[in-house]
Amino acid sequence: MEMKKKLLEIKNLKQYFNVGKPNEVKAVDGLTFDIYEGETLGLVGESGCGKSTTGRTIIRLYDATDGQVLFDGEDVHGKKSKAEMKKFNREMQMIFQDPYASLNPRMKVADVIAEGIDIHGLAKTKEERTKMVHDLLETVGLNKEHANRYPHEFSGGQRQRIGIARALAVKPSFVIADEPISALDVSIQAQVVNLMKKLQREKGLTYLFIAHDLSMVKYISDRIGVMYFGKMVELAPAEELYKNPMHPYTKSLLSAIPLPDPVYERNRKRQTYDPSSHNYREGDQVELREITAGHFVLCSEKEYEELKKQ
Amino acid sequence: MEKILEVNDLKISFHTFSGEVQAIRGVSFDLNKGETLAIVGESGSGKSVTTKSIMRLLPEQSSEFKSGEILFKGKDLTKLNDKQMQKIRGKDISMIFQDPMTSLNPTMTVGKQIMEPIIKHQKLSKSEAREKAVKLLDLVGIPNPEIRFKQYPHQFSGGMRQRVVIAIALACNPQILIADEPTTALDVTIQAQILELMKSLQKKVETSIIFITHDLGVVANVADRVAVMYGGKIIEVGTVDEIFYNPKHPYTWGLISSMPDLETEEEDELFAIPGTPPNLLNPPKGDAFAPRNQYAMKIDLEKEPPMFKVSDTHYAATWLLHPDAPKVEPPAAVQKRMKMYQEQHK
Repeated sequence: MEMKKKLLEIKNLKQYFNVGKPNEVKAVDGLTFDIYEGETLGLVGESGCGKSTTGRTIIRLYDATDGQVLFDGEDVHGKKSKAEMKKFNREMQMIFQDPYASLNPRMKVADVIAEGIDIHGLAKTKEERTKMVHDLLETVGLNKEHANRYPHEFSGGQRQRIGIARALAVKPSFVIADEPISALDVSIQAQVVNLMKKLQREKGLTYLFIAHDLSMVKYISDRIGVMYFGKMVELAPAEELYKNPMHPYTKSLLSAIPLPDPVYERNRKRQTYDPSSHNYREGDQVELREITAGHFVLCSEKEYEELKKQ
Repeated sequence: MEKILEVNDLKISFHTFSGEVQAIRGVSFDLNKGETLAIVGESGSGKSVTTKSIMRLLPEQSSEFKSGEILFKGKDLTKLNDKQMQKIRGKDISMIFQDPMTSLNPTMTVGKQIMEPIIKHQKLSKSEAREKAVKLLDLVGIPNPEIRFKQYPHQFSGGMRQRVVIAIALACNPQILIADEPTTALDVTIQAQILELMKSLQKKVETSIIFITHDLGVVANVADRVAVMYGGKIIEVGTVDEIFYNPKHPYTWGLISSMPDLETEEEDELFAIPGTPPNLLNPPKGDAFAPRNQYAMKIDLEKEPPMFKVSDTHYAATWLLHPDAPKVEPPAAVQKRMKMYQEQHK
């Protein structure tokens, strides 16, 4: 793992809304983590914890209040010329949550997918553009007859496939998927997740996978970050996080997932998380610390010593 | 066990510009007193239409009641007029809707909305109703009920709003509570709280619950019995253990194995049911699931399978259960999961 190249470095990222007003919201409050090339990093947490904002700030849909996002060593934020921005936009793409709202209903599927191709001038001739669109449609499991239809003619799962084709059109290396399957039916969710995994294998994509369905996140992710009120409370390899959760919030989150197993469900005991249980005193340095290799927990110096012992 | 609700051969269609959509194509089930029946299935399988027809909440202009009966304690709800139905709705049978953000009236205080059914059905005075409403808010676990009583829905979070909706539904101690995806819009931790709340309330007031969801984890948590719907029909019904540990219908197999659990290895590909649900504008001849079913036989395309009996409580509509059918094994993913369950439960 250590040998892997860091594709994205996020350093002390902050995103505040309504700065200076009484209703200031610290949606993302000092996040620091890396994403390695070719991996899938899952981001989980309850609604309002700032996971979607994190994704949107990384791709610069919002301007960060503070902190850095380094993509391949270069800062995404800060003053940028149009040409420089264009370069980033080609490398980073996003798949949105709601397949019904994220496709322009007045554009044909071919134009939806080819918008990026046109902007970046990736196709020299009209024939080339059509061919690229048809190839993309095939990649995501649709066929070329679909190119001349409008979004409303498709089901939710098919629309999400179009959203994926659009993201792939400019050949990005990094894709942010913001709850890409939450709006889909169970049987269709599996289709989309399998497709995303297949594309990752074939094209060496790196994913930031944002979701609140924890069992799906575990299945698709290599590492998982747990967010709570704008902060990362735990970051660990997927298997490790589920087998050995350390932060009390992660424990409570895991104990709340219902599993499709009636006997297990009858015996499941839910744990609740009380943020005041930490009893942090003033001057305590609460930060993300590495307990075992690759397993980070937000804790104070004292908690760190205790976790280390376990 | 006492049957409180009996639905027999219910058929409902919708009239649309493109023609008649046969949303419900012959649904029959029973609900016993005090039990929770979960109805699962994809969107468009007819779960919500079934329950809305019990409440008689389908739009009159576009929906057509084709046939069937809905017996509530022996009384056929389909034969009642609007006035008689109003006396049952919200009193004997009440409903919790999916989206707590839109099922409350934003211009009325929460307290007033809870008082409404109490005044209407129980004929209490305003002050008595008020007292009862505050008690209900307390019962569903809303802190400071006296203050919250006077607030508007926008001052509540999603989880709190759903508690208010539950309080309204429980206001008249209904005998049947229909919950249409009550936790789908909520976070897992809030979902766990709401499910615990519903279960504890069920014990207190002995309500029967019909629980609609597509989350099998939630089903395993709340249900006593499960009915699986596909293409406007119930294709498998049984106790929760029978459905999860001994499923018989290929669609149920697909549903169970398309959901990863925490043990699913990353290398395993998820089993995805191929294709899309049937278009009920022209329901296919034969078994509606046949085009997506890898076990489909010739007869599946020609004749609809009847309900075959597996046990006294377990029935499934698939020709695979016919004595003449070839013996097939469930997909590897299902077998693996069944084995895992067996080992874990030892």
